[in-house]
Amino acid sequence: MSLMTRRSFMKTAAAGAAALTVLPRGLRAAGAAPELMTGYFEREFGIDDTLCRQVLARALGKGGDYADLYFEHALNNRLVLEDGKVNRAYGEVLLGVGIRTVKGDQIGYGFSQDLTAAAMLAAAEVASTIASGRGAAAPLGGWAAPKMSDRYPLTRLYGKVPLEEKRRLVQTVNDACFARSPLVTKVNGSIYDEQKRILVVTSDGTKAEDLQPLTYLGVSVTAERNGKRERASWNLGGRRDFAYYTPEVLDELVRTAVDRAVILFEARQPPAGEMPVVLGPGITGILLHEAIGHGMEADFNRKKVSTYCTMLGRKVAEPEVTIIDDATEPNLAGSLNIDDEGTPGQRTVLVDRGILTSYMHDNISARHYGVAPTGNGRRESYQHYVLPRMRNTYMLPGPATPEEVIRSVPRGLYIEDVSNGQVSIGQGDFAFYVSQGRLIEGGRLTAPVKDVNIMGNGPKMLASITMVSNDLAMYQGGAGQCGKGGQGVTVGFGLPTVLVKSMTVGGSKA
Amino acid sequence: MNREMFDLAFQTLEMAKTAGADQCRVAINRDRSVEISYRDHQVETIKEAGTRGLFLEVFVNNRYSSQYTSDLRPAELKGFVVQAIATTRLLEEDPFRTLPDPRYYEGRAPVDLKRSDPAFSSLSTEQMHEIARDVGEAAQAKAGPRMISVTSSCAKSWSENVRLSSNGFEGGEENTCFSSGASISLQDEGDRRPCGDHFAEVSTRAELPPAEAIGAEAAQRSLDLLGAKKVKTETLPVIVENRSVPRLLGGLVAAMSGASLQQKQSFLMGKKGQAIASERFTLVDDPFIPGGFGSRLFDGDGFPARRRMMVDAGVLRDYYISWYYSRKLGCEPTSGGASNLVIAPGSRSVAEIMKSLGRGVLVREFIGGNSNSTTGDMSVGIVGTLFANGVPTQPIAEMNIAANHLQLWSRVAEVANDPWLYSSRRTPSVVFRDVVVSGI
Repeated sequence: MSLMTRRSFMKTAAAGAAALTVLPRGLRAAGAAPELMTGYFEREFGIDDTLCRQVLARALGKGGDYADLYFEHALNNRLVLEDGKVNRAYGEVLLGVGIRTVKGDQIGYGFSQDLTAAAMLAAAEVASTIASGRGAAAPLGGWAAPKMSDRYPLTRLYGKVPLEEKRRLVQTVNDACFARSPLVTKVNGSIYDEQKRILVVTSDGTKAEDLQPLTYLGVSVTAERNGKRERASWNLGGRRDFAYYTPEVLDELVRTAVDRAVILFEARQPPAGEMPVVLGPGITGILLHEAIGHGMEADFNRKKVSTYCTMLGRKVAEPEVTIIDDATEPNLAGSLNIDDEGTPGQRTVLVDRGILTSYMHDNISARHYGVAPTGNGRRESYQHYVLPRMRNTYMLPGPATPEEVIRSVPRGLYIEDVSNGQVSIGQGDFAFYVSQGRLIEGGRLTAPVKDVNIMGNGPKMLASITMVSNDLAMYQGGAGQCGKGGQGVTVGFGLPTVLVKSMTVGGSKA
Repeated sequence: MNREMFDLAFQTLEMAKTAGADQCRVAINRDRSVEISYRDHQVETIKEAGTRGLFLEVFVNNRYSSQYTSDLRPAELKGFVVQAIATTRLLEEDPFRTLPDPRYYEGRAPVDLKRSDPAFSSLSTEQMHEIARDVGEAAQAKAGPRMISVTSSCAKSWSENVRLSSNGFEGGEENTCFSSGASISLQDEGDRRPCGDHFAEVSTRAELPPAEAIGAEAAQRSLDLLGAKKVKTETLPVIVENRSVPRLLGGLVAAMSGASLQQKQSFLMGKKGQAIASERFTLVDDPFIPGGFGSRLFDGDGFPARRRMMVDAGVLRDYYISWYYSRKLGCEPTSGGASNLVIAPGSRSVAEIMKSLGRGVLVREFIGGNSNSTTGDMSVGIVGTLFANGVPTQPIAEMNIAANHLQLWSRVAEVANDPWLYSSRRTPSVVFRDVVVSGI
């Protein structure tokens, strides 16, 4: 690696941190056409085939079956508004390589922030120790790039978006929140953007590169009435171009946040106990993610610790229910051109008309089950090894209308907004927090409710979804973070309005 | 203090001042960690690496930004610094944004916090393999025939940081951490495969309990989950086990921060000097616990650490006010965040308390849920067991408790004598009376 390529990184890094980019040559052209996306790490850091071959050989030096290199260069920026002014900025430059050696189901992992040959070889040496024999030294040949689509094209790299343009977006949202309701007393706004470039090089011949953008504009609104205070938050974004932030999108953000804060003055806690629950469309997909999705991640099943590990091919839901985990939807937070093992992004049917048809796989679990990887191998950063993770998880629409679903419930709970879901993988028991909802009385939506927890059991809940309507909506935020094994990755989710026959609603009344 | 890191921090400060910063603060961190895990008698993962990074905060004409980079070579740093300042200039003015008045830096306690153990380097990878394996085997021996899978681990980490400010603050820390634990999946009725775990985490290697004890406790905690079910909604005394108390306490402490007060997002606004909890509840912020994960000599602003009475026999005595929010609120700063939080322990064990309570619920874990710092309303799922006359009678799951923090903490009936030692939250088990535990 030459000093020149390292120097040019310095400019990119510093500029990225500052959101004022002096772009490397070759990226000055507008947009990120595919030809400009490839060769980034070779151009900027001197990562060529010879070096990759050398590092992979070291990683396999003690007899590992398989090894891969994951290079990452990410520029993250956040602008924050408090008390009416965009008066703080946070920036972050992340650069490094993660090196993994796999032996059977076992993983050796090392990483380095320094992309010199010596530092990478040292990390590869650590990874290699998962095996303890002699180097198989399989000759490493040429590499092929997988077939890729671009599901999140940019007309401008985020580094090219002037800080002033971002600042105006946050300021506009702030001013519009105050204008929308006289009850608003405080507004906290922020805009986040993350431009991550990755390169995956594997010992079995894959070399894949991607530019994965993520942005969101978020706002939290505090309102006050008769000495009582309430707060609500919302965000909109995804893997999107900055052109996404139109006046209409900003208006939707403001309306959602302000109206949700103000309605809470009318809200109360519902009675505790078991009752039918109607999940409204969109963000309630978190429930699908928590209650059902995690248990279908293949690592938990390979280790036989998931409640779903004996259910493949079995009926797990009514025929109305089809559940998809999908990297191919454009611009959502969980959309991917490739996963972090270089497998092309794809659409995976988890439950097909009620039958459990597939788990979500990374390379290790796919080999274990003798199936093709599904492109679910993801990681938080080069400092972490890959695990099977969800992308955009949703249920296909069904034949009912939302009105029919609500009308079918004499007394129950309608859920509009949820947060903080969690599941015990082995039992499938889950809990999640309802921040906005309504009581259903006599088949009609009545009083608003808030601050209540819903508990259930994933397989039981899945089996008790009896109505699915035609209004599938995907969550349009960019801030959906899923945590597993200490790693956070961004995910998307969605749901049509559905009826769950019975769930436990927490409350403070006996 | 590491000389090389100190020099680099000093040079970065000089660069920032030359580039136009009125004031600046630099922190440089380095760390190294090794993690080994076993699953069912076989190595599952080996991970080892080191990181380093530099945080730069700049103040230019009352404008502020904070930037991070992992590229620490001086030539590269210079460009990073120049761009950080250029960005800051484009922000809006915030007259409250300055470094603290340096007189607030004075008075650091001359205490050895015992946060760094030289045994970090002498604990070999082979020994770590042995610990991880032994923990797993002990867990399996105790778990018996229902065991499906056991994952056990041993990890160690070391970190060092140096912090300097342009108005005279200097500080450095070196910390070590050793941890070991296991999680065990068991076959229960039908498709239920409950998984319990236990992890110990300490600053000094000698304090790590024997592998056999860690494994056996992890297994017992898993066995205790067998047969769990939802039972009918009832108002009962609830004992929240020591390790789970921080989850509840977090909702109370979040409302004590200057940011939530100034942003009107705190249910504790205007409550200083008033009773917010039962007189049996006393909460102390103690930065001087030897080996405590929150122990420190100075805080994020550089203020010398002090022991603070936060809640004294139920009365709210203090807030967490950083320099910045002290200026916004027009009050004296305290400290921007908690160090070690200690709930004053009582005299009886959980077993004794269970015996004297008659019927009740012992909460072992929380699941999901949330706490609203603006209103104080919280709701959270629970896993644990019903007990009668001191004996566990029925493990429970899929149940919930919901309350307002002010109501919940006013119902503290007793605090047990068992502070949790593996966290900066030194919380004993806490008994709450008259809690609605909702289920069927």
